[in-house]
Amino acid sequence: MQFLEIFLGILTAMGGFVEIGELTFMLNAGSKFDYRLLWVVALGTIGIIVFGEIAGRIAAVRGQGLFHVIRERAGIRLGLLTLAAATIVCLLTCAAEIGGIALLWQLMSGLPYRLLIVLALAFFLLASWFLPFKWIERIFGLLGLFMVIFIVLACKVSPDWSSVVAGLVPSLPQGPTDQRLLQSYYAVALLSSVMLPYETYFYAAGAIEDKWTAKYVPANRVIVILGFLLGGTLAAAIMIAGKSLLGPLNVEAQLPGTAAIVVAVELGRAGLCCALAGMFFAFAGAAIETAFSCAYNIAQFFGWPFGKVRAPRTASRFTFAWIVAFVLSAVVVLTGVDPIRVVEYSIVFSVVILPLTYFPLMALSRDRDVMGVHVNGVIANTLGWFYFVVICIAAAAAIPLLVLTHGGEG
Amino acid sequence: MRRSKPRGNLDLYRRVLDHGLVDADGLPCGTVDEIEAAGKPGEPLEIVALLVGPAAWTPRLPALFAIISRLLAGSRLVRVPWSEVAEISEQIRLRSTAVALGLGVTDRRVGRWLARLPMSGYEPK
Repeated sequence: MQFLEIFLGILTAMGGFVEIGELTFMLNAGSKFDYRLLWVVALGTIGIIVFGEIAGRIAAVRGQGLFHVIRERAGIRLGLLTLAAATIVCLLTCAAEIGGIALLWQLMSGLPYRLLIVLALAFFLLASWFLPFKWIERIFGLLGLFMVIFIVLACKVSPDWSSVVAGLVPSLPQGPTDQRLLQSYYAVALLSSVMLPYETYFYAAGAIEDKWTAKYVPANRVIVILGFLLGGTLAAAIMIAGKSLLGPLNVEAQLPGTAAIVVAVELGRAGLCCALAGMFFAFAGAAIETAFSCAYNIAQFFGWPFGKVRAPRTASRFTFAWIVAFVLSAVVVLTGVDPIRVVEYSIVFSVVILPLTYFPLMALSRDRDVMGVHVNGVIANTLGWFYFVVICIAAAAAIPLLVLTHGGEG
Repeated sequence: MRRSKPRGNLDLYRRVLDHGLVDADGLPCGTVDEIEAAGKPGEPLEIVALLVGPAAWTPRLPALFAIISRLLAGSRLVRVPWSEVAEISEQIRLRSTAVALGLGVTDRRVGRWLARLPMSGYEPK
């Protein structure tokens, strides 16, 4: 594998790390809880590195996507339940991203919101139909790097770095019961937003699209560790910006425009343009990844031909599936539902399906008969099971916390 | 890790059931949804065919979900004779093409519909 390919893979992984839900939760968590939840970002980043590496390794060694593995290991009953839940979560996330893009375009053009949703749908259908996989991956991943403006912003606001470092140390929620519940809710939501399952689905599917083989295992490790680590840094920078700029004003980010204004206040017009471009490509990338994840998952589960490397009429049901995913997602936001509320629910429900997704991965990746010399080592096994316990606890707590905090309203 | 069709013991549950099928041209053409076996009491079971399609996997679901799934997915069933299995590895490789075995019918039907759109036959190199 060429050095350039690994380098681009790292940047693409970083550029595709943040989406609308993560952006909103990071800003609000910073605004409400200062740096006290930074450790959750660190925890989630290592978690997505662990499972991303395992998923990429399985794809490289076996040439199989996640839902092939889930079907083989979990069987039809549990597998179908996981598929249904993953599809709903991906559709909700895709709907939120399309809504987020329409809101961004409305901010720039003033055109009606619903018209912009239809235009966004047309944009996604055309881009996904005509662009090859490599281009989709590179364009939206690399141009999503405009989001790095948030790291510039975090440095510009000169945070108290000792407090930032202190935030990386895990701590229990403090204060009155409702505050503790709200902080716990945010901790679960942040963990879920960093470890969103579609990132793993799409990453593994991308490895198959790129025809990875066992010789890509070391490259997979480098891309996942560096790419997601940089992505986690970007997420932390957004939280720092939220604490420094929204916290003192007691403002809650309810629209993507809030994030843009945060940048504009400190970095002026150039910063605003970078933030808007970064958000557009980040949301658009996430919309395509989630719609395609629906199609990849269903195709892998039922054994259909899939992939952008095949002609649409050869992988016809796969193609039809992503078209339907985009249309259904657009219909969800066309009903007038608030995309930020949609993404909040999709993120909380995502954590519920994480154990269902990751258990078959762990079961297969530690099976020497199947993985040969690429079976999990001590580190992958220890971290994998540790994170499995963590996501099981988060999954069990997610719905009760959602109810007890009135959907995060406190 | 590849192995051709084994002659001795074979763990059907781990190695065959719910595994993907690939035809003679290397095209994915479904999943082993059920296994058909024949035999009499006291005699060893003999695998007769692999069953593919909603009519094979819906009965494996709890009753209510089976009914809903059958309504949504239909009741198509294709029997792939065991003699058609060429190799059992990560996927089950078949000796014939999907067309010859009657697999991937819906794919070809949807493919004909998509063929009306521009660049539907474009395969990136």
